[in-house]
Amino acid sequence: MKPRLYDFQTLRLLDKMTPSLKIPRQILEDLVAHARELDPFECCGLLAGADGTVTRQYRITNQVAKDPQAVTVFNEANVKQLGHLPETARAEVAYFMDPKEMLAAFKDMREQRLELTVIYHSHTHSPAYPSMTDVGLAYYPDAAYLIVSLENMSQPDIRTYWIKDRQVSPAEFQVI
Amino acid sequence: MIKVRIPTPLRPLTKGQGEVEAKGSSIEEIITNLDQTHPGLRGRLCDEKGELRRFVNIYVNEEDIRFLKGKETALKDGDEVSIVPAIAGGR
Repeated sequence: MKPRLYDFQTLRLLDKMTPSLKIPRQILEDLVAHARELDPFECCGLLAGADGTVTRQYRITNQVAKDPQAVTVFNEANVKQLGHLPETARAEVAYFMDPKEMLAAFKDMREQRLELTVIYHSHTHSPAYPSMTDVGLAYYPDAAYLIVSLENMSQPDIRTYWIKDRQVSPAEFQVI
Repeated sequence: MIKVRIPTPLRPLTKGQGEVEAKGSSIEEIITNLDQTHPGLRGRLCDEKGELRRFVNIYVNEEDIRFLKGKETALKDGDEVSIVPAIAGGR
């Protein structure tokens, strides 16, 4: 019998501690394009891949102004109150992914054998840092949260984070 | 048996499985059955009053149960149930 060279569990643990996120330049460019297209409203979407390397992008419609469920989701999480805002203004400060489009994206990921890797949205007037609202509504601890900031229009800022148990930590990513 | 798709945030409760099978003829019965085989799932899906949490979307095949009969939505053999937590945020 060959000697055991690696302790599989330790390797997995190390892998979780030092996740190597890789995102193709073309997809990053499209994230900025998506954010600019919808400005002053927030854009949102999903990136999927394997082992931290993103290969696919899904633009998802921001339904915060149209889906009545959005207001209740925000209320339940006790975060930004949306109910007092006119519907058109809601999408300037928040996003709520169209659940039906999410379902279709997850189906496609299963068929392509990809996993959800990144959840992205834009901040049109604030820095690329998760807000209290983002943190309060982050239910996917295994995905990195990416924010495109258009605060400085000529120089969009893209940053990624892990949000686990309401704790935010930066997630490094490599452009490929 | 009904096939139930489990989202990544709930997979720690299903030993990492993304798909499990459950018995039941309605969403309510499926949740009860799932909670027996994977204790803790009900608490993640429903609040203290037993109502579905607002950020949890449940689909039967491609239909959102909010537009069917909620937890009383009837199921038949071969149906697929998907649990999809909302993704939302803002500045």
